[in-house]
Amino acid sequence: MKPIIRTEGLGKYFGEMAAVHAVNLNLQQELFTSVIGPNGAGKTTLINLLSGYLLPDTGRIYFRDTEITRWEPHKRVKIGISRSFQVMNIFPRMTVFQNILLPVLSRLNKTSSAFSSLQSQKEAVGEAEKILGEVWLQEEKDFPGGELSHGDQRLLELGIALATNPQLCFLDEPSSGMNPIERIKVLELVKKLASERKTTFIIVEHDMDIVFSLSDWIVVMNRGEVLAEGKPGDIRENQEVRDIYLGEEI
Amino acid sequence: MKKTLALLLLVACLCLLPAFAGKYILYITIHIMLLSLFSLGFNLLFGYTGLLSFGQAGFYAMGAYGCAKILLAVPSLLVGIIGGMVIAGIGSFLLGILCIRHTRIYFSMLTLSFGMMIFSLAWKWRDMTGGDDGLVGIPRAPLEIPGIFRLNMTPMENYYYVVLVLTLLAIYLFHRIVHSPMGLTLQGIRDSETRTACVGISVRNYRLISFTIAGLYAGLAGALLPPLESTVTPPVAHWSHSAEPVLATLLGGIYTFAGPIVGAALFYILKDIIVRFTEYWLICLGVIVVVLVLGFRGGVVSMFSGKGGQR
Repeated sequence: MKPIIRTEGLGKYFGEMAAVHAVNLNLQQELFTSVIGPNGAGKTTLINLLSGYLLPDTGRIYFRDTEITRWEPHKRVKIGISRSFQVMNIFPRMTVFQNILLPVLSRLNKTSSAFSSLQSQKEAVGEAEKILGEVWLQEEKDFPGGELSHGDQRLLELGIALATNPQLCFLDEPSSGMNPIERIKVLELVKKLASERKTTFIIVEHDMDIVFSLSDWIVVMNRGEVLAEGKPGDIRENQEVRDIYLGEEI
Repeated sequence: MKKTLALLLLVACLCLLPAFAGKYILYITIHIMLLSLFSLGFNLLFGYTGLLSFGQAGFYAMGAYGCAKILLAVPSLLVGIIGGMVIAGIGSFLLGILCIRHTRIYFSMLTLSFGMMIFSLAWKWRDMTGGDDGLVGIPRAPLEIPGIFRLNMTPMENYYYVVLVLTLLAIYLFHRIVHSPMGLTLQGIRDSETRTACVGISVRNYRLISFTIAGLYAGLAGALLPPLESTVTPPVAHWSHSAEPVLATLLGGIYTFAGPIVGAALFYILKDIIVRFTEYWLICLGVIVVVLVLGFRGGVVSMFSGKGGQR
């Protein structure tokens, strides 16, 4: 299989602290990949670097064969990289429908259209409706995004990330703040979307049961470095990984 | 349907106003229309893009001085107005490149600084602006397209109609813009810049577009002033003039389309009433704005539409 994203010696330092250090990754297309690790391991910083939200101090990032190390986030989206955020990041004053419509318009390069009405953008409207269905939010479409329940806002954020039709999508704790039942539902939805849309998902997640049951590949981080990576079975048996999780069964 | 009828009725009343109103009412109404245009542009930045500018009077002044200089040289209203607007548009584009690099308080301070630089120019560049005397004797030149038509602007009624038509046209275009994909993009930037960038949109480019359109609207409002007053003086560029669209928009409501227009009307009417009783009218108006902001955060329009600040 071809790597979809690759890093060489990637590093990000905040003063003396190495948030991400010498990370060499080779993540494969269409493998559902999870990044795990204790708090402060550098998981979110890694996602921020890969999505362009932060610029690295050292190293290089390649998307397929293109080097994107210093590309701005909006340019990365245009070549097929999308993301969701750990802290809720939706458009709270806009309706749920508009939340999805905007990224669709962006993908279709229609955002500069200044005098046409939103309703006249038939292709974008149709696609937005379809995505709303995929993330189970049709009934809430006319509510302001900020008025949805926490769980629905998480679904909306997933919908926004998908609406740009990415080839690669980073989800930073997509089920945080949800109860265990909602968690399983959302992550199974992500898995389903991954196979239907052929999108490669790379997620940061804390629930080990879910990570091990859904992932095809797991990257374990600790203190800014990649401690181990491999198939769920291999990671489960890895003694170093067990050690950083205080010896608990994973 | 009700809304459309009310709107048509309002436009009809405005069209018929010269038939039953005196010159003073027409004069006030023109000023309300100018402040409406000024406030609409300001609100594209503030209510729609989330950028609070304290320097819009600078672009208003560019429009006013630009139009005045043109009218003093070429007696054509159309050339004066378009020229003033274009000068303000170019000015806002160039200054916008610098201002939109920052947001929040830094953006506000930058716009305030540039606004006051323009004020200083208007005050000190005597050869060009007339200094503290300003430019005087600006003719209310006829509206003409050579060989096609010519309309004398000496009667106030005629000029009133020109301002009314331009204002209605500008409001219509504004409505189209804010309800278009571009309008949605600006609202996305207001709600979350990071999220907007992460759906593939260049936030800086759209901030610059918003800033330039706001400058064009300020320029249009400014360009319509000299033919009315036949004079332009530096206070039009002062920061306290930049505060007028801020107050009007807060009065009317920042998250409603009509807020700045209603706010502009209220601002002028309140000012007109209060000023008859006290010269400290700004204090009274300030108290009213404070009460509205504390008690009805969505402004007057939201209060009556019951939308609680939603569009």
